[in-house]
Amino acid sequence: MGSFLDFFYALANYSWMQRAFYTALIVGIVGGIIGVFILLKGMVFLGQAIAHTAFAGAALAILLGIEPLYIIIIFGVIAALGVGYVNEKKIMKEDIIIGVIFTFFMALAIIFITLNKQYSTDVNAILFGNILLVSKLNFVVLIITLGIVGVLILGLKKEYYLITFNSDIATVSGIPVKLLEYLLLILLALTIDVSLKAIGAILVFAMIVTPAAAAYQWTFKINKMLLLSSLIGVISSIGGLFLSYLLNLSSGATIVSLSTLIFLFSFIMSPKRIKTGFTTAECKFCRHVINGESYCLDEPECRALDIPHYHDDKGIIILKKDIKPLSTPTKHKHDKEEEK
Amino acid sequence: MQLKQESNNLTSNRDHSDVIVCLKDVSVAYGKNIALYKINLDIEKGEFIGIVGPNGSGKTTLLKTVLGLIKPIQGNIRLFNQNIDGKIPREIKNKISYIPQFTPFDKNFPALVEDVVMMGRYNKIGMFRVPSKEDRERVKHALELVKMDNMAHRPIGHLSGGQQQKVMIAQALATSPSILLLDEPTSALDFKMTKNVMDILTQLNKTYGITIVTIHHNLRIIKEYTKRVIAINKTLVYDGSPNDSQFDEIIDEMYI
Repeated sequence: MGSFLDFFYALANYSWMQRAFYTALIVGIVGGIIGVFILLKGMVFLGQAIAHTAFAGAALAILLGIEPLYIIIIFGVIAALGVGYVNEKKIMKEDIIIGVIFTFFMALAIIFITLNKQYSTDVNAILFGNILLVSKLNFVVLIITLGIVGVLILGLKKEYYLITFNSDIATVSGIPVKLLEYLLLILLALTIDVSLKAIGAILVFAMIVTPAAAAYQWTFKINKMLLLSSLIGVISSIGGLFLSYLLNLSSGATIVSLSTLIFLFSFIMSPKRIKTGFTTAECKFCRHVINGESYCLDEPECRALDIPHYHDDKGIIILKKDIKPLSTPTKHKHDKEEEK
Repeated sequence: MQLKQESNNLTSNRDHSDVIVCLKDVSVAYGKNIALYKINLDIEKGEFIGIVGPNGSGKTTLLKTVLGLIKPIQGNIRLFNQNIDGKIPREIKNKISYIPQFTPFDKNFPALVEDVVMMGRYNKIGMFRVPSKEDRERVKHALELVKMDNMAHRPIGHLSGGQQQKVMIAQALATSPSILLLDEPTSALDFKMTKNVMDILTQLNKTYGITIVTIHHNLRIIKEYTKRVIAINKTLVYDGSPNDSQFDEIIDEMYI
């Protein structure tokens, strides 16, 4: 287990390992937090388009021989504003925009890379990322940017929650919806841009979506979802860093694979899905879906009205057969038919 | 409790010349399509008004124009005796609540009933702040008003359509509004639940003096619950009592 101890030795003694550790920690936390609102708002694909624009920015920077980070950030923010504008004005359908922008910027990126006659290892680093090679400059920018993103998103939590719930109600109640939507896109672009070097352009978006999607499976409370999402983000990023070091694998790919495993586990074990199995049960009498407080409220003619088919406090249904009827239900027409 | 007091103040100051919504020659267009043409409308404090009209007649557009979600191409809007030109000022927004057309919630949306009602108070709480004890009291009270307080901790997606609609009413009430605009609040509900929701609205109107404007498709419900009905078909075609014989004629004409 030499390399196991190596990991902690490096962590204690080398600044590049400490940078990697803190990068993993903060990308996990902030990616998890912003991911919750991206997921609930249904902006997952818009974010994917932004990630690929950032890659084109990186390719251009390498061609021009400038520090990629600045160009990436400029490209990302412009992409966020452009995507937001096209989406707001409903110029075309969302999936068409994404299909067009996404491929165009990939094409641009490829042109920039091929213009650059000698294949640079930098391109590789941007595409696949390496959390162990995060430079000092990149680290400082990452900590500051993600710190600001985290504070802003948590500070505006209520507003974003209401916007994801119903943006018309949010507008009427006086929340500057358009402004906040643009801000969310810009914060998303910044999160992607500064994390690009650590996780890689292809995979960085998984750090935002996957932990939130996993957390979504577990809870009905927004605060709990935010907490779980950043926790899952941290577990996968730090766990991934550790595993990639131990097994000598690509760090970005290991981190994303780990978070996907957590997502799969959450999806299979999700109490929501298990509950759904019950809640979509049909009422035997009115063939209506049993839900909520469920005295077959939706169906006033149902003769099972006087048989309680309840949920208990945790939302689990106590099946009808477990409860004695309060009174004998009158029979349906179709019951009589069945008897025949 | 405070909601009650505020509302009582409202009712005590009630004056029949109190016009809180006033539209003058308001026209709205989507591109080149005229959606509403020269609408003139006064709504007084404490009224219970039904809006009817065929699909695509501009009912929702009318509500959204009053709410400032759509800008008219011409005409003048006054809310609470203030000319609205562009953005609606915050103190007026606080007096108006809106319940959009019912769309069923994603079953797994991470929100409890009390969270949804609390959203109604977000604009009063303000950005970068957390709800206070008073806010929670208001939420509880709003849920009591619609008799949903026993379900405060249920996920919103697990309720039936009627229960969800009552939660939306509670959310609108949490702001302690003077006027409540509803877009087909009962379109997804059966007759029993429809009456239940309309009874709650009537009670809010009578007890707390909240002005209610509701779009409705069911003429039977309109006749039973409202004293004034507005029929719209791109322009205002009727404004008066729903039990007038002239109204029946206009309805026949409009829907044939």
